[in-house]
Amino acid sequence: MRVGRIVTILGAALLAACAPASKKGETVLTFSGSALGAEGTLVQKQLKRFMQLNPGIRVELQRTPDDANQRHQLYVQWLNARVGNPSILQLDVVWTPEFAAAGWVLPLDPYSPARSEFFPATIIANTWAGKLYALPWFADVGLLYRRTDLVPNEPKTLEEMVSEAQAAMARRGGPRYGIVSQGARYEGLITGFVEYLGAFGGRIIDDKGNVVVNRPEAVRALEFMRDELYKTHVAPLDVLTWHEEEARFAFQNGNAAFMRNWPYPVAAMGDTAQSKVAGKFTVSPMPASATARNGHSTAALGGGQLAINAYTDHPAAAYKLIAYLTAPEQMLERAQAVGQYPTRPSLYSDPRMRGTIGIPLENARRAIESATPRPVTPIYTELSEILQIELHRALVRQVEPQEALNSAAARINALIERTGMRKLMSGGAQESVP
Amino acid sequence: MKKISRLGHEARLGWTLVAPALSVIALIAIFPLGWTFWESLHLHELRMPWLGKPFIGLANYIEIAKDPRFWAALGHTAFFTVVSISLELVIGLYLALVMNRVFRGRGFVRAAVLVPWAIPTVVAALLWRFIFESQGGIANALLVRAGILREPMVWFIEASTAWVPVILSDVWKTTPFVALLLLAGLQNIDLRLYEAAAVDGANAWWQLRHITLPLLKPAILVTLIFRTLDGFRVFDLIYVLTGGGPGTSTEPVALYTFNALLQNLRFGYGSALSVVIFAITFGLAMFYVRGLGVKLGGDE
Repeated sequence: MRVGRIVTILGAALLAACAPASKKGETVLTFSGSALGAEGTLVQKQLKRFMQLNPGIRVELQRTPDDANQRHQLYVQWLNARVGNPSILQLDVVWTPEFAAAGWVLPLDPYSPARSEFFPATIIANTWAGKLYALPWFADVGLLYRRTDLVPNEPKTLEEMVSEAQAAMARRGGPRYGIVSQGARYEGLITGFVEYLGAFGGRIIDDKGNVVVNRPEAVRALEFMRDELYKTHVAPLDVLTWHEEEARFAFQNGNAAFMRNWPYPVAAMGDTAQSKVAGKFTVSPMPASATARNGHSTAALGGGQLAINAYTDHPAAAYKLIAYLTAPEQMLERAQAVGQYPTRPSLYSDPRMRGTIGIPLENARRAIESATPRPVTPIYTELSEILQIELHRALVRQVEPQEALNSAAARINALIERTGMRKLMSGGAQESVP
Repeated sequence: MKKISRLGHEARLGWTLVAPALSVIALIAIFPLGWTFWESLHLHELRMPWLGKPFIGLANYIEIAKDPRFWAALGHTAFFTVVSISLELVIGLYLALVMNRVFRGRGFVRAAVLVPWAIPTVVAALLWRFIFESQGGIANALLVRAGILREPMVWFIEASTAWVPVILSDVWKTTPFVALLLLAGLQNIDLRLYEAAAVDGANAWWQLRHITLPLLKPAILVTLIFRTLDGFRVFDLIYVLTGGGPGTSTEPVALYTFNALLQNLRFGYGSALSVVIFAITFGLAMFYVRGLGVKLGGDE
């Protein structure tokens, strides 16, 4: 124990030594971010402007890995050592409850942020035990890409999507695949599942904190996903090993009628030099199932959030920077520079947004409005790992969907007990009910 | 009297001289091991500071014993180790026998055989994944053309077929190492034994069974130790090739431990797993050294 503390202190000292020295009377903040490419240039530009507006505050950019897992691991190590830098943390959407429950980020309520100006789902994802812990910086959202030359009209239901995919494949010279997506055993599989789950009216955890992932709606959703592979044959078995990029390659090379993916491929696919589908695709929200009473069009929510490190000496200044970076002007600039979606609905009717994100603004807004956070809980990462394994087992036909989801539910319940989450989770701060 | 004190003096000098080496071993081997064990007796989840860090005795070990995923992982590890090492020994012995012959270009062949061994494991794994990955991959194309497969298949979605690239790549990569160790053993065998046997009319098979293999036993056992311990700790190859999938059908214990320790940041539980792996590999090493009488040192 004592050795542990010494190591912790040594680590903290080492980090402190690396931290920027402050001039007298100057508040120094550190911002965690990427220093690479267009993103790096944009961040540096905005930080510079912020410093001009706030002469007493200096902001240093602390380079952290772009890879989310690596950044998460670093943050957790630093925060366990109670290090105050970076003062502003850049969180993935599923981390906020974990960091909040651990006491690593500060609630923002004392600064009364304008919650109602953001998409509701992005606020719910950042709320834990009734308090808001981070502001949504940009939104990522699951989209259904469609080849407009093969399927001119947006499918209204999942069933329609499948029959359109079959029709497209059956055409002479039609694409090899109907629907491509991310089916490897990783986080991407969960985001896809959340969308089918919503389409059938299912949930992973309900408002009371009960695990409901093995209810009939969820089983039907998983069966539908499995049928796409083995029954309707619209999805190739290859997707069970695919991540975002493999799906993008297939769609971009003209090999698929539909694709489930995030917004990022839009730019590359619009480029005729590398894409065979430039000008021949559009996006829309994932449709709901026609067979489910409570089903609704659902998109998985991703994106970046900004939060205040609980160990910083300057929380008020840190909030000022967060408020600045999440203000409409900066978000607009972000959309223009790197194509990331604003988290403020009002910007989607702003004429300056036109042409920034490469797809009709109306479709993007509808997708984010249908967005559902993944379960908002501090134990999300382990919960997700359990689901990834069980979903994958069902999709490769090692077990039946019902059996896989029963096993997932049992293991998630055990996880909730082990971590003492039962009491906290019935508190009401849960997934959204759109 | 005088003699004893001189001995004492020499002993003390000896201890003084090895003290730096011993303290380095203590620092880099014994101390982390002890700390890991101590950690394994605690509930320590980096992600859940609200749980504190209470001493929980052997609870982590009990959780391991009750976890079917751990036992499955242990089974996968044993399967991987046995199958890949058997193949490597047979092919490695064959290669060593070939390389031990006198022929033109022997030096070149010996160097060429080592190429796979020189490639970093992660790179080799990526290479094999590329070969097997898609339905349009090289493996599928070759097998379909040869008439072995009727149509391209997806190798990584069934447990039985996902093992094929895993074991193939390990055999491809490690056989040269095995061959080299066995070659060193072969070169220690006195050639006159073969001459004598030939004079007595023994054929090549008899020579292999009664001269080569018995005299090669020390080299084979040393190879076995190295490879078994490596096999039990297999991580990078499977991490890159299958990630342990489909489901967890190819997950070895090292990957499971990595997951608990570095993905989920469960330091207590992960440490307990590390201790278990250590105990198993230590037990295996003891079995080889004591049970089979492998000599690791040069003295007879």
